[in-house]
Amino acid sequence: MSELDRRDFLKLVGASAGAAAAVGCSDPVEKLIPYVVQPEEITPGIPVIYASTCRECPAGCGLHVRTREGRPVKLEGNPEHPVNQGTLCARGQSGIGRTYHPDRFAGPMRRGPGGELEPLAWDEALSLLAEKIQANPSGTYVLGGDVGPTAGSVVDRFVTATGAGGRVVYDPFAPEALRESTRALFGQARVPRFDLSDADLVVDFGSDFLDVGPAPTEHARQLAQARDVHNENGGVRLVHVGPRLSMTASNADEWIPAKPGSEGLVALAAAHVALRERGGDASALRSLGHVTPADAAARAGVDAATIERLGRALAAAKRPVALPPGVAGWSRRAVASAAAVLLLNHALGAVGRDVHLEREPAGRARASHREALRLVEAMNSGAVSVLIVHDADPLYSLPAASGFGKALEKVDFVVSTASMVDETAARADLILPDHTPLESWGDAEPRVGVRSLLQPTIRPLFDTRALADTLLDTGRAMGLGGQLPSGSFRTLLEQAWSGSDFRNALARGGEFRPQASGSAPVPSASAMLQVAEPMLEGEGDFALVAYPHSLLYDGRGANLPWLQEIPDPVTKVAWQSWVEVSQATADKMGLKAGDVLAVETSAGRVEVPVLPRGGIRDDVVAIAIGQGHSRGHYASLAGDGQPGETRGVSVLALLPSVTDESGGRAFLTARARVTKTGGFQRLPLLQSTDNKRKRMLGEALPLAVVKGEGHGDGHAGGHHGADLGPVYANEHAPIEAYDATADSHEDSPYRWGMSIDLDKCTGCSACVAACYLENNIPVVGEEGSVRARQMSWIRIERFVGEGYIEYVDAPERGRRPQPSNEVLGKTDVRNSPMLCQQCGAAPCEPVCPPIATYHNPEGLNGMIYNRCIGTRYCSNNCPYKVRRFNYFDYSQFNWPGLFNLMLNPDVTVRGQGVMEKCTFCVQRINAARQGAKDEGRPIGDGEVVTACQQACPSHAIGFGNLKDSGSAVSKLGDDKRGYHALHSLNTRSAITYLAKVTRDVES
Amino acid sequence: MVGASIALPEAGSAESAEAEHPNGDGPALVAGSICEAHELRALAAERPGTRIEIPPQYNKPYPSRSACRSHELAWDDSAPGPRQPIPFSHKHHAGEYEIPCQYCHSGTDRSQAAGVPSVETCMGCHGQLALDYDQEFEGIRILKEHWGHSYVNDNGTWKLQPRDESKAKPIQWVQVHRLPEHVQFRHNRHVKRGLDCNQCHGNLRQEAPVKVEDLDKLYLVPDTLWWKYGLPTQKLEMGWCIKCHRENEASQDCLTCHY
Repeated sequence: MSELDRRDFLKLVGASAGAAAAVGCSDPVEKLIPYVVQPEEITPGIPVIYASTCRECPAGCGLHVRTREGRPVKLEGNPEHPVNQGTLCARGQSGIGRTYHPDRFAGPMRRGPGGELEPLAWDEALSLLAEKIQANPSGTYVLGGDVGPTAGSVVDRFVTATGAGGRVVYDPFAPEALRESTRALFGQARVPRFDLSDADLVVDFGSDFLDVGPAPTEHARQLAQARDVHNENGGVRLVHVGPRLSMTASNADEWIPAKPGSEGLVALAAAHVALRERGGDASALRSLGHVTPADAAARAGVDAATIERLGRALAAAKRPVALPPGVAGWSRRAVASAAAVLLLNHALGAVGRDVHLEREPAGRARASHREALRLVEAMNSGAVSVLIVHDADPLYSLPAASGFGKALEKVDFVVSTASMVDETAARADLILPDHTPLESWGDAEPRVGVRSLLQPTIRPLFDTRALADTLLDTGRAMGLGGQLPSGSFRTLLEQAWSGSDFRNALARGGEFRPQASGSAPVPSASAMLQVAEPMLEGEGDFALVAYPHSLLYDGRGANLPWLQEIPDPVTKVAWQSWVEVSQATADKMGLKAGDVLAVETSAGRVEVPVLPRGGIRDDVVAIAIGQGHSRGHYASLAGDGQPGETRGVSVLALLPSVTDESGGRAFLTARARVTKTGGFQRLPLLQSTDNKRKRMLGEALPLAVVKGEGHGDGHAGGHHGADLGPVYANEHAPIEAYDATADSHEDSPYRWGMSIDLDKCTGCSACVAACYLENNIPVVGEEGSVRARQMSWIRIERFVGEGYIEYVDAPERGRRPQPSNEVLGKTDVRNSPMLCQQCGAAPCEPVCPPIATYHNPEGLNGMIYNRCIGTRYCSNNCPYKVRRFNYFDYSQFNWPGLFNLMLNPDVTVRGQGVMEKCTFCVQRINAARQGAKDEGRPIGDGEVVTACQQACPSHAIGFGNLKDSGSAVSKLGDDKRGYHALHSLNTRSAITYLAKVTRDVES
Repeated sequence: MVGASIALPEAGSAESAEAEHPNGDGPALVAGSICEAHELRALAAERPGTRIEIPPQYNKPYPSRSACRSHELAWDDSAPGPRQPIPFSHKHHAGEYEIPCQYCHSGTDRSQAAGVPSVETCMGCHGQLALDYDQEFEGIRILKEHWGHSYVNDNGTWKLQPRDESKAKPIQWVQVHRLPEHVQFRHNRHVKRGLDCNQCHGNLRQEAPVKVEDLDKLYLVPDTLWWKYGLPTQKLEMGWCIKCHRENEASQDCLTCHY
C-alpha cells in the first residue's frame, strides 16, 4: 500500500529485519468489485453453465459454456446434444479464444485515405454502407458461410429487399460432390449421413472422417462403440484406402495405399467383387464403368489380390459401411468417386440401414463453389461494386489461382463483418464487426431433427453488432424497413422458434427429435458418370495432396493459439507447415527432416521444410491446408513480432482453380515438381521418433490373445495376475504385481486412478486442448516448441509398431528426428496419451529438495507450485517426462488482450521458475468433494470427471476411485489388456492403459 | 484505542463556541445537523448548564448518534486499514444492528467465495430510509450515486434526483482480507463447519478479542504500518491456517489448498 514511503521503509528495515520481509513484498491494492445488481443465477465462485452451439465447423455440436461471474471460461460438450453427446473436439474447445482474442476489432472501422483503419460510429458506418448499396444495388453481393437458418433467412431477405445482385454461400469444404452424386444416382440431392455405431466393417475410401469429417466427434464415438472388443467378432474392422497414413488411416486395421483419387476405382472394383460373392444386380455399378480388380489395381497402384480380398470382406460382413472420399480426395472425378462408394453401399444393403439419405433441413444454406467462381468473374468484369463478406475468409481459402485477390481490387467497396482480423478483412474498406459465437444469438440445424440454439454467454466485449442486425439496420437506413422483418435479430429468432418451447430449448441447447431412418432409394442406372483417375494438372513426378489439417481445418483455426501449439496428431509438427515425402523419395534426393524443398505446380511455388515419412506413397507429396496466413497474432508471425510475415505456407497457392464434374471444388488437382533449395529450417517437432524401442508404452495385442484364444510369444506377464499368461512380449524385466490401492493413506477412502483405452484413442488431441484450457497452461510459441519447452500436461505419443532397441541405421544415430518406422500399407500405429501417472512410488518425489512434490493421502502425486524452487530434479527423474517447467514468466506474457479473462479461476496461474504437471484435475476432485461432504458421504463413482475425460470423443479415458471396487475404473483395471506404462520401473502407476487390439480384416 | 475524538461536520464552529463559552453564559450552541444535535445533547448532559439550541428539523433520533460516529470513524485515516470508497462501518451494521454476516455476504455457505454484496443489497435497506440520512452522510450519497441517483445541493440541502439506471456503477472496494493467488480457500467448508467469521476476519485468540462487528474500519496485517497498532487481527499466513487445521483435525494435505 502506498502509504509506506521509502524513508519509512528503511527505518523499519533498521528496526526489524524479520518484519521487513513481510513489508517488502507488500501487495498491490486489489479491488473488490461486486455487482450493481447481482443476477439471480450467479453466486460468485459457483460456475453457471449455458447451453449453446459450436460454430467451428458445420457439424453443429452442442456446447455447455462454463461461465464464472459472467465470463465464459471453458467450453464443454452438451451431453443432451445428439451430435456430440457431451464431448467436444480440440477445435470446438479452442473456439472460446475468439471472444477474448487480441486481434478483435473494437468497433466499426473504415479504411482512411492513407490505407489505415480508423474507427467510426455504427450509424455513420451503416449509412455509408447504405449509400454505397443505393448507388448500385444490383452490384451488391453478399459472400459468406452458413450462418444458421434464422440469420440465413435475414441475409436472404436483405438481398431481396435491397435488390442486391445475390448471396453466395461459401464453404471451402462443402460436400458438393457427395450431394451431386446422390442426385445423379437417386434423383435427390442429399448429403448422406453415415452411422458407424453398429457396423462390423467400415471401409473409408479417403474420407478421413476422424480428421475433419462431417462430424468428427460423432464419428469417433460411433467408431469407438463399434470397436468395443466385447462386441461380436471383437469389434468393427476399419479399412482405409488412401495415399497417406492420415489420422484416420493410423486408426485403421488395414491401410490400402491407393493412388490419390483412385478411391472410386477401388470402390467400384470391390463392389463388383462383393456383388459377385453375394449375388445381386450389378447393372447400376456398370453405369459407372466396368472395372475389374486387376484393372483397378493397376490404375490405383495396389495389388489386385488386395482388392479381391476387400471385396470378399465386404461381402462377408454383416453390416459394412463405406465412406466416400473427403476433401483431400476431391478431384475432377469427385462426383463419380462418391457415386462409386454410394453404389458400393447400396450393393451391400447399407443405404437405408447405416447410410441415411435424409432430407436436408430447409434452412440449411447450400454452399456452391460454382457460384463463388461466378462471383469472382463478375468482380473481375467490374460488375460488383459492394461486396459484403461474412463468416468466411475467401481471400485465404479460395485457391489463389481463382484470382479472387486480383478481383477484389476491382470491387469498389469491400465490407467485412469478421470479428477479428483475417486476410479478407485486411483488404476491406469497411469493417462492421460481428459478435463472436459466445456473444451471439443464433441457431443451427446440422440435420433434420437437430435444431440447435446459440445464446450469448457474455455481454459483447466490444462495440460489435450481430450480422443479421447489421444487415437489418442497413436496410432500414436505406428506407427499406417495410420489406424487412421488424424487430431485432433476437426477436426474429424467437419468432422462428415460436412453434417450440423456447425457454426449454435454451436450457437444453435446442430441440432434438429422434430421427426417422431414411428409406432405401433405388439407384438409377442412367447416371452419366465415369469413374476414372483424377487427371492432375501440370508436370512433375508427384501428385500433390492438399489435405485439411485436423486442427486448423480450412485455416480458421490458425489464429487460435492452442490449435497451433497442439502438434498435428500424425506428424507431431506444431506452428509450421511441412511437406510430407516418402522415405524412399527423401533417400533418393538426399533429404533430411527440415531441409527446405521448393514445391512447384502449374499454379505456384512454395518453399517449405520437408518431413520424410514411411506412411506416404512414393509418388505423392502432401501439404496440410491451414497455415500460410499473413494476418493474425498467432496465424501469422505477428505474434512473434513480424507483422505481415506468413507462418508456414498455404498449399492453396499451389492449386489450380479446378472443379469436379458438377462444379464443386476440387483439391486433388495438381502434379508437383520438387527440388531441393539447400535451405534448412528446424521444424517444431514435438516427438522426434515413433520408435518405442519395445518398451511398455503404446502396447498392442492381437485380438486372438485378448479373446483368450492364443498367447503372445513373450516372457513377461501382464500385471493383473499370472493366470492370464504371458501376453506381452516386450518387457525387459520381470514385473512384480502390485495393488494400486495400497498407494494411498490407509484411512483415505480414495485412490484416484485412470484408465486409458488405446483401442479407442484415435489421437485426435481433444484431451490436450481440454487440459490446456482447464488448467491455464501457457502456449510457448514456435521458438519455444523448437526448443522443446512445450507446457502441455498431457500429450499423445504416437508409436509405430514395437520398434527396435538398437539404432539400426548407425549413420542416423544421434540425429533427430529419427526416420519414421511407418511402412507403406501397414498401420500398427499406437496413440498413447501420456500424462502424469500419479505413481505410487514416484521417482520425482524423493529428489525434490523442498518437498514441493509429494504423495498425497488420496494417492495423488501433488505438485505444490508455491513451494517449488525450480531445481528441475523431479523432471530429470521422471521416466515419463510429463513434468513441465516455466522457463519464462508466461503468466505475464502469455495471455495478451483479454485472454486473461478466460483463465480458470480454480487453478493457480504458475509463475516463472516453477515446475508444473497434471494432478488429475484436483480442482475438479475438490469441487466434487463439496457436495459429498455436505451430504456426509464419500465421492461417488462418476462424480469427478477430469477435463481430458470429459472431452474425449471416443470415451477412451475413465477416471475414478481405485479403492471402490464397484467403480468403472476399478473394473476396467482388471481388463486383460491392462498394463502400466514402463511397468518394469515399478513406479506403481495409477493409470491403467488398455492395450490397443490389432484385428485382421477377414475375408 | 483510536478515534476517541470526533471531528463533526462543520464542527469547528461548535468547538470554538464551546471554547469561548465554557460556562454557557454566551449565546446557545446551535446544532447544524442531526449529528451535531446528538453531540450537543451529549455535551449538555456532560456539562450541565451548557446552553444548546437544536432547531426542530435537527431534533430527530435518526440517524442515531452511533451511526454518526461510525460514519466518521470509518473514514478516519489515522486508523489502520485502507480508505474505502464509502465509509461503511461493520460495527454499525453487524455490531449494533446485529445484521447476520450472511445477510449481505450471501452464498458464503454455498460457494468458495464469500462474495461482496451488490449495490442492490445495500439499497434494499437504504432505499427505504429517510432522506435525513442522505443529508447527514456523504457515504449514503456516494452509495446512492452508485445506484444511479444524483444530487443537487440546494443551499446546503442535498436534493435526491430520480434514478438513472445507466449511471449506476459498482462500488470498487479495496480488498482487505487477501489470500495469495496460489491458495484456493473455500468459505463454504469453513462456514458449514460452524466457524465464527471472526476466527479469520477478526482475532479471537488474544485477551481483548477483535471482532469484525466491533470495527468501524476493517484492517488486516500485513497492513502497511501494522506494528503501530500491535497485532489486532490475523495475518493470513499458512502456519496460522495449519494450526487451526491441526487443532480441528482438518485436512493438512497440501493439495487441499494449493493447486
